[in-house]
Amino acid sequence: MRHIVSGLLLIAIAGSSCQKKVLDIKSQDLILADSAFTTPEKIEAATLAGYDGLQNPEFLAGRALIYVDVMGEDVYDRNQAFGDLPRYGLLSNSSIAQNVWMAGYDAIGRANRAIAGITANSSKLTAAKAKALIGECKFIRAVANFYLVNFFAQPYNFTADASHPGIPLITTSYIVNDPDANKPRSSVDAVYTAIINDFTDALADLPTNYPASSDSTYNKKTRGTRASASAFLSRVYLYKGDYANAKKYAQDVINGMYGTFALNSTVNGAFGPGHYETSEAVWSIPASITDNASTNYSLPQHYSPFGTRADIAVSSTFLNVATNPYFALDDKRRSMIIAGPGTLSALKFTNKYPDVATRADWAPVIRYAEVLLTYAEAQARTATGIDADAIDKLNQVRNRALVSQLPYTIASFTSKDDLIDHILGERRIELAFEGHRFWDLMRIKAAVTNKYDSDGQKKLPVQPFGAPKNVFPIPQLEVDKSKKVLEQNDGY
Amino acid sequence: MRKLLMSLWCSLLLLSGDLIAQTRTLTGKVTDANGKPVANASVVVKGTKVGTITDTDGSYSLNVPVGAKMLIISSINMQPEEIKLGTVTDYSLTLKPLEESMDEVVIVGYNTIAKRSLTGSVSKVNGDAMLNRPVMSFDQALTGKAAGVQVNTSSGLPGDDVVIRIRGGASISMGGNPLIVLDGVPITQGNQQELYNKYNALAELNPADIESIEVLKDASATAIYGSRGSAGVLLITTKKGKAGQSNLTYDNYVGFNEAARKLKVLNGADYNNTINKLKTNAGLAPSAFWGDIDNDGKIDTVNTDWQKEVLHKGLVQNHNLAVSGGSQRTTYFASVNYNENQSYIESVSQKRGSARLNITSKVTDWLQIGVNTQYSRTKISNLGSGVGTSYSGFPFGPLTALPNIPVMGPDGNYYTGIGGNTSVTSYQTPNPEAVTQLNYEDRDARRFIGSAFGELQLIKGLKFKSQVNVDYSSAFIDAFWDKEIGDGSGTGGIRQLDDNVKNTWSWFNTLNYNRQIGADHELNVLAGTEYTRRTSSFVYTFGAGINNPDLLMINDANYQETGGGSGMDKVDDGLASYFGSVNYGFRKKYLATFNFRTDADSRFGKDNRWGYFPSGSLAWRVTEEDFMRPCQFVNDLKLRASYGVTGNSNIGYFPAQRSFAPDTYGDIALITLQNPGNADLRWERHLQFDAGIDAVLWKNTSVTVDFYNRRTLDLILNNPVLATLGFPYSIRAENVGKLQSRGIELAVSTPVLHRGNFNWNINFNAAWNKTKVIATNSMGDDLYDNNDATAQFSIARPGQPLGVFYLIRWAGVNPANGLPTFLDINGNQKQYDRANATTPWTLVKDGSATSAIGSTDRVVLKDNSPYPKIYGGITQTFNYLRFDASLDLQYALGFYVYNQTKQNLMAYGNSRNKSEDILDAWTKAGENTNVPRLYWNDNFWTNTASTRWLEKGDFLRIRNVQIGYTLPKTITERIKVSRVRFFVQGSNLYTFTGYTGIDPEANSVGQTNIGLGIDKLRPYLSRTYTMGINLGL
Repeated sequence: MRHIVSGLLLIAIAGSSCQKKVLDIKSQDLILADSAFTTPEKIEAATLAGYDGLQNPEFLAGRALIYVDVMGEDVYDRNQAFGDLPRYGLLSNSSIAQNVWMAGYDAIGRANRAIAGITANSSKLTAAKAKALIGECKFIRAVANFYLVNFFAQPYNFTADASHPGIPLITTSYIVNDPDANKPRSSVDAVYTAIINDFTDALADLPTNYPASSDSTYNKKTRGTRASASAFLSRVYLYKGDYANAKKYAQDVINGMYGTFALNSTVNGAFGPGHYETSEAVWSIPASITDNASTNYSLPQHYSPFGTRADIAVSSTFLNVATNPYFALDDKRRSMIIAGPGTLSALKFTNKYPDVATRADWAPVIRYAEVLLTYAEAQARTATGIDADAIDKLNQVRNRALVSQLPYTIASFTSKDDLIDHILGERRIELAFEGHRFWDLMRIKAAVTNKYDSDGQKKLPVQPFGAPKNVFPIPQLEVDKSKKVLEQNDGY
Repeated sequence: MRKLLMSLWCSLLLLSGDLIAQTRTLTGKVTDANGKPVANASVVVKGTKVGTITDTDGSYSLNVPVGAKMLIISSINMQPEEIKLGTVTDYSLTLKPLEESMDEVVIVGYNTIAKRSLTGSVSKVNGDAMLNRPVMSFDQALTGKAAGVQVNTSSGLPGDDVVIRIRGGASISMGGNPLIVLDGVPITQGNQQELYNKYNALAELNPADIESIEVLKDASATAIYGSRGSAGVLLITTKKGKAGQSNLTYDNYVGFNEAARKLKVLNGADYNNTINKLKTNAGLAPSAFWGDIDNDGKIDTVNTDWQKEVLHKGLVQNHNLAVSGGSQRTTYFASVNYNENQSYIESVSQKRGSARLNITSKVTDWLQIGVNTQYSRTKISNLGSGVGTSYSGFPFGPLTALPNIPVMGPDGNYYTGIGGNTSVTSYQTPNPEAVTQLNYEDRDARRFIGSAFGELQLIKGLKFKSQVNVDYSSAFIDAFWDKEIGDGSGTGGIRQLDDNVKNTWSWFNTLNYNRQIGADHELNVLAGTEYTRRTSSFVYTFGAGINNPDLLMINDANYQETGGGSGMDKVDDGLASYFGSVNYGFRKKYLATFNFRTDADSRFGKDNRWGYFPSGSLAWRVTEEDFMRPCQFVNDLKLRASYGVTGNSNIGYFPAQRSFAPDTYGDIALITLQNPGNADLRWERHLQFDAGIDAVLWKNTSVTVDFYNRRTLDLILNNPVLATLGFPYSIRAENVGKLQSRGIELAVSTPVLHRGNFNWNINFNAAWNKTKVIATNSMGDDLYDNNDATAQFSIARPGQPLGVFYLIRWAGVNPANGLPTFLDINGNQKQYDRANATTPWTLVKDGSATSAIGSTDRVVLKDNSPYPKIYGGITQTFNYLRFDASLDLQYALGFYVYNQTKQNLMAYGNSRNKSEDILDAWTKAGENTNVPRLYWNDNFWTNTASTRWLEKGDFLRIRNVQIGYTLPKTITERIKVSRVRFFVQGSNLYTFTGYTGIDPEANSVGQTNIGLGIDKLRPYLSRTYTMGINLGL
């Protein structure tokens, strides 16, 4: 009996050590929340998570640019890869809308989380470093809000005071399923104010350059900098119709206040492998063979004829001078429009994203050409008469593509409006297939004309400014989850 | 049984004991009911230690004391007999086998109990029910064998999901497969995905090693497994040697697999016609033409049946050699098995070699030790091109590939062009034969499952048992995409290697006290501890741009780009458990059981770690009552009822902890939140009431009826939360929601006819189940399946059956104009005209413009759920002279399947090949059809999920037919074997169903609860014809 008792005792002792062994398990591949912001390195790594949020293939790594293009008239979705979006026929449960919404708020959530983490652990950082990191978070948040408000709300000028519904503004880092996150949509004006505030703060606190200890150029082209914040501000003000500010922030970049930017000598100098970090790039979303969007999401697979998808063909509207009047027949940028291989030989595609094999084309969110054209347009609009400075910036972009045409002079234009038309036309050509066209039409209250259906042959009806389905539905699932706190867009 | 053991010990003691003087010699022969000698039967003088065992011919000779009065003769699995001794010296007799049914022993968790004393709901499936069946894994053979156990084989592909649901779905988003315990070892299961193909861990076991499977269903039975018991438990017992019976068996079968069904798609001519009609009706130029493939200036009217190209008859073979036997002290069972199952798809197969050794040894009369071990190696050759909807996968590839182009080009290489078609839209299907032949994904898995135990007899009735268990598996996967075609083209070919390890160890200790107190009280008390630890890890490498494709290596010398990584493989947890049970019986009439287990799971926060799982049950054996005496036809009748709590341990990877994980932004490393965490996360609780009747009528008809009502509280859900919270994928694991499952199960086993040499037995089971969602989250949201975001056809909605279909209502094709019509939420019939770009939607009744049909027009189709209302199986066996036959049927009624396969094959806006159904398209006014008029890009009706694609799934399947013939003794004796049986067999022979998709059981979403019943281009099931031999020495 004594043996039995001592045997059982032994089992009990072994058991209690076993219990410890099976219960005290620390994950070997996860960083628990309480140790995520404990060192300056981890804090910075957690800050960078926001960029990774923007890099979502449903968002700025690809689809966000594509959606703006396919809603415009310069391309058609030959495989109906984007459903009824090009026909402005999304339904309220559209996965396109759902995914963009989720990706945008995911990026915002990452930024807010980092801000909270930096603030709570600021003692571990120098004051300057903490400010700079928060500046990056605000940059990320502003970029996400800018794309979200343009996808989900009518343009700024839809109502006189931009009081129409925008998107919910989220600036809190949530830990639990907090009802506070169920916010109604702020007005478009309030959203633009928030975007401008974030970019302005970022502009003040961001670095111009990243330290040489890292890959300085790579960081400078892909993380927030003063230059990219200023360039973004110029675009935001342009969309808002505040041309004085649009001009100011573009001018600061052009004047080299935040580093040197210049156009490459060739029209395709900023595209394709090896060309992502040139002085023409202001801010891009990077990709690599190991961090790329899948075949069904990547820019090259959608745009290039050499991928397996080749969904997006260039429309005859873009190619014909009759419907794209400033696109000269010998414009060098036509060299970036190519015929497809084999059975696609009758169709035209863009060659801006050629890396179908590794799908590592960067998404060119802001190029220096855009800054020049924004400046040109803002200057032209704010100046009286036909402005020479605006023509100069327009020429900087256009001259690089000229063969037989001559550079513009004041005599080239009949009026100020004619100059603005030329600048808008140039913007359409230069920034084509980079996610601008549809929104550039909307911000000036223009209609979409000469748009072709997915067969590339049948014309669709004119899509007027202000049509309800120019914007995505608020995802029905989110409307439902909010118990209708989120107001659905008209027409859905 | 106890008596028997005692007598065995006595005889053993005798062998070593002193001989007793004053004896006389008795002799005799012990035979069984068939007249066959019984070897190693024990012959003991009652009340003494004097005894012996019989020889191989059944004879014995024993010196007994002169005063001996009674002999006890017994053998394993026989009813012991007592013989009064007289003056003669020859005492031969025939032993009767132990009676079946109520006297069976049932394994319940850590204990065994006589079936008559059982108070819970347990179904037992004997190994022979699965023997010789050409299944890829034993779980497939369980189909239709036990009441309330639904086994759904998703496809005929090796490794594809076998979804087992006991009493319906028990959870919404967190698993639902039962716990499987093999000889006390909790085994790794499930259908997991390592690279692109799934595999079924249960395929690594040899079905022929299985002696029996007990299915624990009610809380009384499952609560002893506490937190892992909610979805039921399958206890597998492997074969053990029997003392004194040396056996060698060799069983084989050989045959072939073929596709059980083939969907019909268009031939070349019909394809050209249909595509061109679609185009010209929409005012576009025709585009589908035959071309001049061989450049001889003439059009080649090619007609390729791509399914025929990639399908073949796959070889199936199985060889199983088993030996077993032992002495009174030590028994052993050993087997080796080779199983090969080539799929009906070319270059797809599963091969398994396994060996098992089970040894039990009674070292002393107070110590017994043993090991049960198996090692297996399973090689799966799978499609490198993927399955389902992937462009190069099966069946998408062969169903959608252009029928008007050839397999091989004139240059002798696989043809990769598009023939004479002038343009193709959304056509990404690479040559299906080429991808089937050139690309592959091979998995080579090794698995060791073993346990070692020691059992001490401490004092009379008190036993201590300690057992250590391990389930270790590793797999090496080599996936290769050729540079010529499909996913590898453009990247110069890709190779991916994945090496992974999964390990579970556990250790349990039990104290078991079994005592008869007086004549009236029977007591069995069990207490135990168990510790379980599970880990997993992987190493992954890939290379793109292959220089030498034949070399199985990945490095910078052989590849242009290499990369990879390693880490944990989503399993890393531990469980500490303490449990106990009390079984009490009064006069064998009134039975009570109480079980209790407490589990602590490492995955919960420290404060919510412990879960408590009690259960209790009562039973009344009515036939023991005097008033039942007159009812002669009722041999046994037991009423029982139970109530208890179990939990669900399928809760994910560190679900409670808020945690960050590394990621990258291009070349920049970072960390990002991967789980918002929930410190308050606690156990899911399943409260189950069960009432049942077990009866044996007219000697051999056994009937079991159960009613159950199970409520699941605190469901752990990946709760879809507002995106504005900023949580990854907008989900957070929370305890929300309630489910209720109610049902009735019936199992009947009866000899229908015993006349002369003809026997006919039927085993019938049926289960009626209804699982209703009581609540989802605090918002009452609809929940969709987490596994496949695009499969949003069914939902969990409070007040509705689980997984109920939620779709727009299809209202047919307008006979007047051929337009597809739908009902909006208010029942207005609307039609869609793609040709009208400004007002595509009009009301059918007056043609006036109206709003579009959209997601708000979806309705809950209350009676249309993917879970059958009634399901079960019928097994019949026939014997006539030396012939035997069996017929296994499976049925499921009252459920619906979403035919997304057909939906895919009817699209009007792409150049892929189409279902033959498209030939029924509307052509002229007044025509009644369900296929709208052909109009290119008119895709609303195929792009929109509607009841157009919802079909009744009801089916009756002939799962297995086997006919056997056993050679007569006169021949077997001459060739010195004890048994030779030949058989022929057909499996999955035919399915009676109105369903028109791949299969009514096709399941594309995998291990799911909400998203069952979605048929989206999974491979067909296979039909198998085999013949074989059973040989016994």
